[in-house]
Amino acid sequence: MTAVAKLANSFVETSIDAEVVLMRLSDGDFFSLDGTAVAVWQAIDGDRDRAEIVAAVGEQFGEAAGVVAADVNAFLDELAAAGVIAG
Amino acid sequence: MAAAAPCAHSPIALMSREMTLRPGPVPQDLGGRPVLPGQHRLEGDSYVLRASHVAFHYRRGEGLVVERTGAGPDDAEELLLHGSVYAAVASLNGFMPLHASAIAAGGAVVAFTGPSGAGKSTLVAGLARLGFPLFCDDTLVLDIAGPGPVRCLPGHKRMKLWLDAAELVGAPPQGLVSADYPKYYVTATGGDVAEILSLAGLVFLEEGAAQQLVPVTGGEKIARFDDDHYTRALFDQATRHTAAERFALHARIAAQVRMARFVRPLRREDFDDSLRFLAARLLDMVAP
Repeated sequence: MTAVAKLANSFVETSIDAEVVLMRLSDGDFFSLDGTAVAVWQAIDGDRDRAEIVAAVGEQFGEAAGVVAADVNAFLDELAAAGVIAG
Repeated sequence: MAAAAPCAHSPIALMSREMTLRPGPVPQDLGGRPVLPGQHRLEGDSYVLRASHVAFHYRRGEGLVVERTGAGPDDAEELLLHGSVYAAVASLNGFMPLHASAIAAGGAVVAFTGPSGAGKSTLVAGLARLGFPLFCDDTLVLDIAGPGPVRCLPGHKRMKLWLDAAELVGAPPQGLVSADYPKYYVTATGGDVAEILSLAGLVFLEEGAAQQLVPVTGGEKIARFDDDHYTRALFDQATRHTAAERFALHARIAAQVRMARFVRPLRREDFDDSLRFLAARLLDMVAP
């Protein structure tokens, strides 16, 4: 399986008030992540593939992987479309 | 006992020194391009502003030159000096000007920002009447040096209010700002502050049907802190920050400062209620 990796040269990030805020460097657009989205973002470590990220997020929230898989994958798709991750 | 005075290396002393005016010639061009009447430009370490009857030239470390080029009101000169020129000199010395008026509360600063006409000056004049001393009007200069708390330099205390606003806050008008800009200078009742204080709160002024103070958190803080007013444009031109550096600075300020939207009706009859509503919540904004 393919590891999911943050494209570190494409954004800068900071944490404010329990949110992770990303700014895409190509156009200055902001992305605010909160709640589960922060957990997904933090689970992207460059080693885990999608299935492992789903499992990690499910474990963090006490849910089976099958319960969170659709939402986590949809969010990973959004991040990939935004150009801040690959995989 | 000697009177307290800012030490020679303090930001207050630096700004006071750099804002000291002396008469002299102002160059027609800056950066190889002419600065025409009604224009201003910041380039490298220099700034030129040219109005119809007066022009200013500032170069970092060399001070501020004024050239009176024709008949014109002195009050208009003061307006430019304390507005655009002040923001440019601050920017060229590493300070960050905000388009905001501010009061002191609990030993810290709460600033109010919004577009022209949002009621910044009227609000702080009203709050001063309720015991929150004026910190600055219209331009708040931040000392962003170092990793510590963002500090605010006390600013101009001659407020500029429309005549009806001066009456609303009970401040006697002291003179017309300019024939072209018919606001009146007033001095806030309730005293003012002359020392450097940390920035605790930033409030965005909005008009709405009902009073509410809505916290601004997370990414919205950074997004709202981006300001398209000329003061921020001058700062951006002076610092030439990359997008990442700019983001890091805004993130640092956002992490330190409580932010909120103050929504209230702008009807005269609601002004006192709005003031009391806000005053009752200001100390929460500066609480540790």
